Amino acid sequence: MKDYIRSVLDVVAESPFVPLEAHAKKGVLAVEKLAEAMEAYCAGNQAILEERTGEIDKLEHEADKLKQKIRAGIPSTVRLPVNKKDLLSFLKQQDSIADYAQAAAYWMTLRPCRTIPEEIKEGFLELMNTSLKTARLYNELAGELYKLLATSFSKEQIKETMTIIPEVEKLEHDVDVLETALLKKIFENEDAIGGSGVCHLIGLVERVGGIADKSASAADRLRTMILRR
Amino acid sequence: MDLLVIALILAGLYMAWNIGANDLANAMGTSVGTGALTLKQVIIIAAVFEFLGAVLFGERVTTTIAKGIVPIDMISIVQPDIVVLGMLAAILAAGFWVTLATFYNLPVSTSHSIVGSVLGFGLIAAHNGIISFSDIHWGELTRIIASWFISPALGAVLAYLTFSVIRKLFLHRAKDLPLVEKKFISLQLITACYMAFAHGSNDVANAVGPLTAALKVMGVLGVEVPVWILVMGGLGMVIGMATWGYKVVETIGSKITELTPTRGFSAEFATASVVLFHSFSSLPISTTHTLVGSVIGVGLAGGIAAVDLRVIWKIISSWVATVPIAALTSALIFVGFEVIFL
Repeated sequence: MKDYIRSVLDVVAESPFVPLEAHAKKGVLAVEKLAEAMEAYCAGNQAILEERTGEIDKLEHEADKLKQKIRAGIPSTVRLPVNKKDLLSFLKQQDSIADYAQAAAYWMTLRPCRTIPEEIKEGFLELMNTSLKTARLYNELAGELYKLLATSFSKEQIKETMTIIPEVEKLEHDVDVLETALLKKIFENEDAIGGSGVCHLIGLVERVGGIADKSASAADRLRTMILRR
Repeated sequence: MDLLVIALILAGLYMAWNIGANDLANAMGTSVGTGALTLKQVIIIAAVFEFLGAVLFGERVTTTIAKGIVPIDMISIVQPDIVVLGMLAAILAAGFWVTLATFYNLPVSTSHSIVGSVLGFGLIAAHNGIISFSDIHWGELTRIIASWFISPALGAVLAYLTFSVIRKLFLHRAKDLPLVEKKFISLQLITACYMAFAHGSNDVANAVGPLTAALKVMGVLGVEVPVWILVMGGLGMVIGMATWGYKVVETIGSKITELTPTRGFSAEFATASVVLFHSFSSLPISTTHTLVGSVIGVGLAGGIAAVDLRVIWKIISSWVATVPIAALTSALIFVGFEVIFL
């Protein structure tokens, strides 16, 4: 319906920070689903794996749509309290979290988990768990954005937000350590797993570990965005 | 001539209704958007304080519209009849342009329209040789037009400073942020009153300025602007708010949920102060444009997640279009009247 008003109040543009938080949530939700998919994979439950993969795919697609909406919502005339380039580069990293979750899920569906020794399965579950922890903490960090805006970036609030970032980075480092240990174990068992199996598992390690990498670099970009206002 | 007076009063009332329905509603919409006041509260506050502003403080700007731009007294000595026709033409032209703009959702100011249309009458009077072109108060007109640029800028600066102070004193020290915002809700009650008062004091002139000029020439009025004229203008605006403006308030309130009470307070306080200052200086300005300036000011101070500066171009183009269009329409209507009545 037409309003028949003479208003210029479209001066207040839609905030990109609201969909930004929603976008972060989609990412962590995809990782939660991936953890379930990983358990199903190790238990040899192909049906659940396929189901979770479909759900992750949907979440990733929704995240992409949000990303496009955020990008389209900040034309050159719109002024934000942060640097637009910083915001976009942070968004890109955040978007990769869901991408990696999707890639890992797809990767698992390519080859069933038949000849994998128990200790490697355990290694994967541990790696997955720590990656999930990183993504969860990152999501908590993204939730702080709202408070930063509400206080118009008070020093207190910035300090509070900044204490979370090193924790995300610490978890990401833990994931790196786990990745190396797991890769080592995979090569130790290369005879049992077989050449193509090794190749497949290396790919899986990279993808699951990638989630933590992207969470940490999104956290890093977020720090840049906040400090370089 | 009695018929003309009735026509003038009706046209003035229409203008007042339109101002109440749109400009006043625009000014009050922020209070609803922040959740500080309910729609009902806003309408009551707007009605009371708009009326008070118009009656107690509306005289200065009304005088400017009535005789500050075109030397009505000088014209009335030569040919009193044409002043009445000219003022009717002016208010009709402004009313027509404002209606058209409303239909197309253009951010046109009633103040700018009425100044343009009164000027249109002055120019045609000069063209007909009743006064000379240099008799038009160009200096005053320049002051008025300059104020259209200055008022939104002043709004922006004042809102920027106000919000910066609030941020430093309250937001950055807040232990309990929601509590701080809650406290500003009661302050917003005060700024809403202030806003309505300021708006009434400035914008009543757009409705009753030409009427005052015409009635004075006809000898109905003395030298001062009588209270009943301001009361009539005030009532017209209040009725506009009550019959149509509430919808506009709702629309705007739902659009600007981004403004929290601290932000809304800053923008409203700055706007009302700037508008009242201009009422005091007898300058007719646009409240809506000043409010836009103030919102931008809060945004640039880091108070709003996203402000769209595209609005600035919309406002500037509405300035550039309004004065010539209103002037030309007013002159054309006047020429038509001359053919019919004289």
